[in-house]
This record gives sequence, structure tokens and C-alpha cells, in this order.
Amino acid sequence: MPETKVSFPHLGSYCVPIEYLFTRGVGVDYVTPPPITRRTLEIGSRYSPDTVCAPFKYNLGNYIETIEAGANTLVQTGGVCRLGYYGELHEQILRDLGYKVRFVNMARASYSNPASFYSEFLSINPDLSLKRVAAVLTLVLKMVEHIDAFESYMRNNVGFECEEGSFDRLHQDFLASLSAVESHKELSAISKLYMRRLKELPINRPKNPLRVGIIGEYYTIMEPFSNHFMEKSLARMGIAVDRWINISNTLLHNPSKKVITHIKDYAKYDMGATAMFSIDKALEFAKKHYDGIIHVKSFGCTPEIDAMTVLQNISNDYKIPILYFSFDSQTSETGIQTRLEAFYDMIVMRKEDRK
Amino acid sequence: MKAYLGIDVGSISTKGVVIDSKNAILASEYLWTEGDPMGAVRRLLKALASQLEGKDVQVAAVGTTGSARKLTGAMTDAQVVKNEITAHAIGTTSLYPDVRTIFEIGGQDSKIILVENGIVVDYAMNTLCAAGTGSFLSSQARRLGVQVEEFGEIALTSQHPTPIAARCTVFAESDLVHKAQIGHKKEDIIAGLCKAVVTNYLNNVGKGKKIAPPIVFQGGVSKNVGVKKAFEDATGFPVTVDPNGHLTGALGVAILARKSGKEQPFSFGVADMDFVTRGVECGKCSNRCEIICVYQNGRLIDSWGNRCENGAIRAAK
Amino acid sequence: MKIGIPRALLYYRYHTLWETFFEELGVETVISPPTNKGILDSGSIYAIDESCLPMKIFLGHVEWLIGRCDMILLPRIASLGRQGSACMRYQAAYDVARNAFRGRQIKLLDYNVDLRKNGGQIETFLSLGRAVGKKRAQSLHAYLAARQADKAVGTAELLHQQDLLRGDRCRILVVGHPYNVYDPYVGGPVLDCLRALNTVPIIADIVDRREALERSANISSTLPWAFNRQLVGAIDIYRRYVDGIVLMSTFPCGPDSLVNEIVVRRVRELPVLNLLIDGQEGSAGLETRLESFVDIIHFKREEDITLA
Repeated sequence: MPETKVSFPHLGSYCVPIEYLFTRGVGVDYVTPPPITRRTLEIGSRYSPDTVCAPFKYNLGNYIETIEAGANTLVQTGGVCRLGYYGELHEQILRDLGYKVRFVNMARASYSNPASFYSEFLSINPDLSLKRVAAVLTLVLKMVEHIDAFESYMRNNVGFECEEGSFDRLHQDFLASLSAVESHKELSAISKLYMRRLKELPINRPKNPLRVGIIGEYYTIMEPFSNHFMEKSLARMGIAVDRWINISNTLLHNPSKKVITHIKDYAKYDMGATAMFSIDKALEFAKKHYDGIIHVKSFGCTPEIDAMTVLQNISNDYKIPILYFSFDSQTSETGIQTRLEAFYDMIVMRKEDRK
Repeated sequence: MKAYLGIDVGSISTKGVVIDSKNAILASEYLWTEGDPMGAVRRLLKALASQLEGKDVQVAAVGTTGSARKLTGAMTDAQVVKNEITAHAIGTTSLYPDVRTIFEIGGQDSKIILVENGIVVDYAMNTLCAAGTGSFLSSQARRLGVQVEEFGEIALTSQHPTPIAARCTVFAESDLVHKAQIGHKKEDIIAGLCKAVVTNYLNNVGKGKKIAPPIVFQGGVSKNVGVKKAFEDATGFPVTVDPNGHLTGALGVAILARKSGKEQPFSFGVADMDFVTRGVECGKCSNRCEIICVYQNGRLIDSWGNRCENGAIRAAK
Repeated sequence: MKIGIPRALLYYRYHTLWETFFEELGVETVISPPTNKGILDSGSIYAIDESCLPMKIFLGHVEWLIGRCDMILLPRIASLGRQGSACMRYQAAYDVARNAFRGRQIKLLDYNVDLRKNGGQIETFLSLGRAVGKKRAQSLHAYLAARQADKAVGTAELLHQQDLLRGDRCRILVVGHPYNVYDPYVGGPVLDCLRALNTVPIIADIVDRREALERSANISSTLPWAFNRQLVGAIDIYRRYVDGIVLMSTFPCGPDSLVNEIVVRRVRELPVLNLLIDGQEGSAGLETRLESFVDIIHFKREEDITLA
């Protein structure tokens, strides 16, 4: 049997901790999917059902490109929305295309039985050491938190960097240095060092900058290619961007119980997936007098569509503009830029008017 | 006399105005883009120049808007390059300072702009496709063998508009054939189409927006009295269509050029220069961005379309 | 006290249960009329444009009921426990309606099924009874009667369908959510058309539900949604008895977008038509597609006979 080469679809910068988990923890080779490009989306769309949500198409494109790059074992997670059923169809499509790869679908495991996850990992490497996976996993989760903290600060300040590209370069260096850490101690030292260097980068931040909060669906909000690098565009306009959705906040410190009490004036129940978070954060941004909110999702995303009915009420109640984006594989770049520019003009004029 | 030029190049039509420092229109022109924005801008500039001939007018600043705003901006070395949503809002509020709601349906876009005290407070643009926009109406008119210009008048003669499915162009076309087959009158079908455009618009871009009067309706489709009436029926408010409504984008961006404070004498002679654009696929990273390069008389003057610095092509200034 | 019930979404699955329950309790109900264009149009005003057709129809029915009753029954289903989860639309329907009709003074009668968190169906009905001011014993009795009535209807439907499986007429399995198949505005034209083409539609929803849930694994093993599982299981049960399958779904349906693709890729021995309905008038396109599908089946049958 050939050597196992695992791969997992892209999601923002998380390919770094994921690679770490597989190489150090599970003890197998890892193939990072080639960066997402237009081709990724094109081939993903070509073999996906037409009306499926865009993340499915991106994931499929990643799988195919990563097989071309040498991967032979693909992993898909489960999830609460359609994501929970991605894996089985991804596997079927890849089989029908004639790819002979191993497909590890975590949706087969069940949350009520944690041992079932272990057996899925065992199928990747039969000589797996549970002790080692557990140890590496805690390190990887910490790594995720450090990345999220770094990127939160970056998102909020990169629009004001004095030297163009300085934030990006440091970000890349930080990510690259993470794969070399050997212990919790090293991880914490490296993260602290880079966080300090990040905060030392010269910025020219006005006292009262334009502030925009981003809310929306899990994948589209976290994978920059799929939202046409919206955060970058906003930064270039000189806007301080905030978004709460990331892995640390949602998976590692899930505040569902608190959220449902925050939003009780608008929703009685959990409306599914990220809908509650979108509502909660919209409310928070509105109460904190942000200049605007941008809602992003893939076309047809059920829970986020349902959240929109609530968001419209929040927008009316707090008089905060919300710009809605729905991305599919055909979204035109010009259309997005026009809408963003108009949004920018609008919040600038509103702000001047308030003075 | 100092003047300001505003150019609005859309997918279907190209519009231009020259205004004085009090926003009064000195010259204006409206022509078809015909898929050739550079040619259209050239023709536009020549037409404007001939209208101004003999008058002592010096254009001090240029603004461009519309989907070809960047290209036009490069050609004219414009001081202001603005998206059409803002340009329309500025243009309309200059004509109607009290306006609260702007409906706009153009060739391929539709948008709604909400205004309070002359400030844009909210807007939305169509999300799906061109269904229910100008190009949709033109293609349906062709199908029915009617000039799109006559559409509105015919619609007004209908007593019982036929319900038409217009959310999707493809569905609409098969439905149209079907309705004609089962004997619906042409005027009823046309009135039904106008109604469908409005329903679509209100359910898509108008969703969740508080529509308050005064309402101004503009864009190419506003010339269609059938659609205007359907808007009035649906909202219960009178809807104003300005005879110069097609010029508001150009007017708005001319005003923005005036307000920019940046001035540089502009010569209509640009129309005689040779402009070429070239799309280059950048191979420097796997994004393979399509970079658009604009050449004036063989010299690169501008480029855009790169997502990262790797693809930046600097124009020789 | 009058309870309004929207004739949409879960109604088509649970109406016997609900109607009998309230009848037994002596509570008057008003049910919105079958979907028509007016209802869809008013729903489209309140629903987000990108919502699925059934959600638009649902909101149209809720709107119709406003002012015609004292409370509107607003079902919400998050989880059916072991049977699986529900599409997130069911999970959100209650709050979407609440927000869409904010300011319209409507009182919603809460009907929440979440087997991961709360008790089973019994508890749901007891709390429904409480909400309309009935004693526990009364509600329990009404619930048991409702269960029985529901079972009787189910059994009768199943027996009738089993009769249809005999004989050599061309049978087509119609796989779709009850709110699509039974809604005269959505699935009605499809069934009519199939009958006009001289075929017998077999409804996948009419099936022994427990058996269907088990057998769905023969086609797909990780399917999370209970209702889709049942339909997929029904395909496995009926596949030997039918000549073709119509997958009827409405645009844009989250679960169906994946499940239908699995079915198309895994049920290879039968012609399968993926029929996407988007609620637009225009039966012309529908007829063309169904007619050519039935033609294909006939050609195939003739070929099979010749080969035999």
C-alpha cells in the first residue's frame, strides 16, 4: 500500500494547524491543497450539482486539485447544516470521476460516541497513538486561538498600516513559524513575539475610524477567496473591520446559551447553524454604533436566509445599514466592487451628517 | 466660464453632461454603448464638443461613473471615478432635494436608494440576474414583435394584465409563449410584464426597505409609463420620472467632480486619440487575475484587475 | 378561541394529528385554504427573495390567517432524535414568521419538537393543550385519539397504494416532501400531468415510515435529515415496483440539492427525472419535461419486452 498522504479542504489560514495535526499528531504526510484559484471553483462547480451551496463546490475543487498534487486520503468533517452531508456526496462524485482515493468522512462518526472519531482516525493510520494525537490536538487548538487573535487585530488595523503590505508580510512569517514549534511553551513564546511585533507595526489610525462588522455564514465569511477578499477591499478603503466568527469563538468557546438570551427580543429559538450568531453580532454592532454591517453567505444558505428576516428588523430598529452579499460560482467581481464602493460612500456621508 | 463634465457609461447606453458651477446643464448627450465603451465615449465627447462650439467654456474637472467608469476615467484622466449608486443619489438629490426613495432600473442592474435629508441612508442592488431589468424587457419586446419604446403606452391600454412569471428570464420566455397560445391579448401580456418587473423589484431589491414618498424613478426603464404606473399601483404613492432622468448619473458625477476641488483643464481633443485596451492574464501567482491595460497612442496609461501587488503593472507617468 | 393552522410545510404531514387533537379538545380551528396564486404572492412579499418556495407559501398562509383566528399554530421542528434532524427551515420557521409579521398583532401558538432537548411528541401536545387552557388529562386523551386517527389514515393510504402496485400499468414513483407533493399549487399539476399521461403516480411519502427509515441506509448511510431519510428509504422499498422516479423538489432546497444528486448517482437501474419547481406559472415547461420522461420509459419498456 502506498504511503498515506492526507489532505483537507482550505479554510482561511487554518491549513497550518490542520497540517500540524496530521503530520505531528496522526503521523502521516499531509498535502496542503494548492491555493484556491478560479480554476478550483471552476472544476468544483463543473462536477457539483448546480443548486448546492458554494462551499461544497470549493471543497470539491480542493479535493481534485489536491489529488493532482499527490494526496491519496481525503478528509471531510461533519457539520450541523448541509455540511453534514457533504462528505458522502463528495466521495461519490470523486469515485464516479474515477479517482481511487481513501475518503475519511467524519460524518460517519457520532458526537454521542467520541470513540467513533478515534476509529475514523485509525482508518488513516492504524499505528496511531491516541496519546500523541491527544497531546498534539491540545496544541493545535491553542494554535488556532493564537491565529484567530492575530487575525482579529490585523483585520481591525491593517487598513491604517503606514507601509503597504507590512501586516501581510508579518502574518505570513507568523504562519510559517508555527509549523516549527515543538511544545506549548514554544508556541506561546512565538505567538507572543509575533503579537508584539504586530502591535509595533506603525499605523496611522484616525481617532474615530469608520467601523464595519462582518457577519454571516461559516465558510464564506472565513475563506477569503470565496468572499472575493472583502476584508482586504474594506481595509483599502480605510475601514476598521470586525468579525466575531472564527474557529475559536464558535467551536472552542461556543456561547450558544448566552446568545439565545441576548437575542430574545428577536428570536426565541436557535434558528440553526450560524444564524443565531449573525443576529447576536448584528445586534451588538448596532448597539455599539458601528457605521455599517456586511452580511455574507453563499447563495441559498438556508439558516442565513432565515436570519435575514431578523436582520432587516434590527437594521430598521437601530437605523444601521446592512449590506447583503450572496455568493455563488458566477458572482461578478465588478458587481461586488460597485456595491462596496457605494456602501463606503454611504457610510462616509452618514457619518459626516451625524457630526 | 468654468464647467464640469460627467460621463456615465453603462452596458446599454452612454450619457454625458457638462454643467456650470451652479449645476445648470450646458450640454448633454445620450447614445447607445453598442458593446464598445471606448467608441461610445469618443462619439459622446465629439457630440458634447459640437454643442459647446462657440461658447466660452473650459472643462475644469471630469467625473466618470457606470460599469465602464475606470476605463473612461483612464481615457479622460478624470478627477473623480465613482460608482453609479452614489452618482445617481447625488444627481437625483440635486434635482429633488426632498426625495426619500429612488427606484432605478437600468439595462442589467436594478437598485433602490433610500435618502433622508439628502443623505443616502440605505441602498440595495439586485442579487440574482438580469431578470426584470431593461435588457429583459427589450428581449421580451422583440419576442412579441413590439418596439420596446411603445411598451408603456400599449400597457396602459390593458384592462386585465396577464399574470407573468418574470423571476427568471428563461421561465418568463416559456410562460410568455404559453400565455400567447392560450389567447391572452398582447396588451394584457405587456401590462403583465410591466407588473411583473415591479413585483420582482419590490420583492428583491425593495425587500425590507421602508418605501416613503417622494419617490423618483429613473434608469432606462423609467421611460416606460407602464412600469411607472405599476409602481404607483403597488406602492400607493405618486412616482416622479424626470424627463432628464437618464442623465442623473452623469449629472451626479459631474457635481462630484466639481466638489472634488481638483481641477485640471480638459480637452475634448481626447476623442481623437487612439485608445486600446488589452486583457492580460497575470501568471505571477495562481489567482491568474485578468489585468486590464489601457494604452493611449501606444503608451500604457493605466491598469487594474490585479488582486495582489505581484500583478501591479505601473503606468509610465 | 379559534386556532389558525397554516396549510403549508408540516401541515401536510401532521394535519390529521393536529385537527383531531383540537377537535377532541373542543377547540375550533380554521385552516387556510389550499395554496393559490394570491397566497404565494403575499408570502413572496414577506419572505426573503432567496428563500425556498415552500417558505414563501408558508408565510402566505400565515398572512391569510392573521385576523381570522385568535392564535396561529406555528410548528417548529429541530430534531427528531434518532430518526434524524430537520431542515433548518423548520427550525427557523417560528422566528421567521414572528419577525416577518412583527407589528401585525399576531399571537403564535408554539409547537416545538426538539427531541435532543425536550420530551417527545406527547409532551409537545400536552403543552399545546396547556396553551389553549386544557387540563393534562383532557390533552392526553385528545392526543391518544389523534394518534389513533393518524395511524388509521396512514394505514388506509398505504393499503390503497399497495393496490396500485399491482397490474401492468406504467408506475412512476414521485419522491418529494409532502408539502410539495400534496400542495395543489406545487405538486398538483405534476400528479395531474402524470395521470393524464396514463401513468400511475406512486407517492414515496406513503410508506411504512419505520421500515423506510431503516432501509434508507441501503442507498445512503450518513443522511442527516429524517424526512429525506424516509423518502430515500421509500425509493429502496418501491424501486422494484416502478418504471421510473420523479424527484420533485422546489427551488432552492438545501437538503434536496445533495440528496437528489446521491439518488441520481446510486439508483442506476431506473430512469430518474430531477424536477425542480420554482412556483412560476407556466405549465408548458412542466408538461414537456414529464411527457418526454414518460416517452423514455415507454421506449425502455418496449425494448425490454423485445429483448425478452
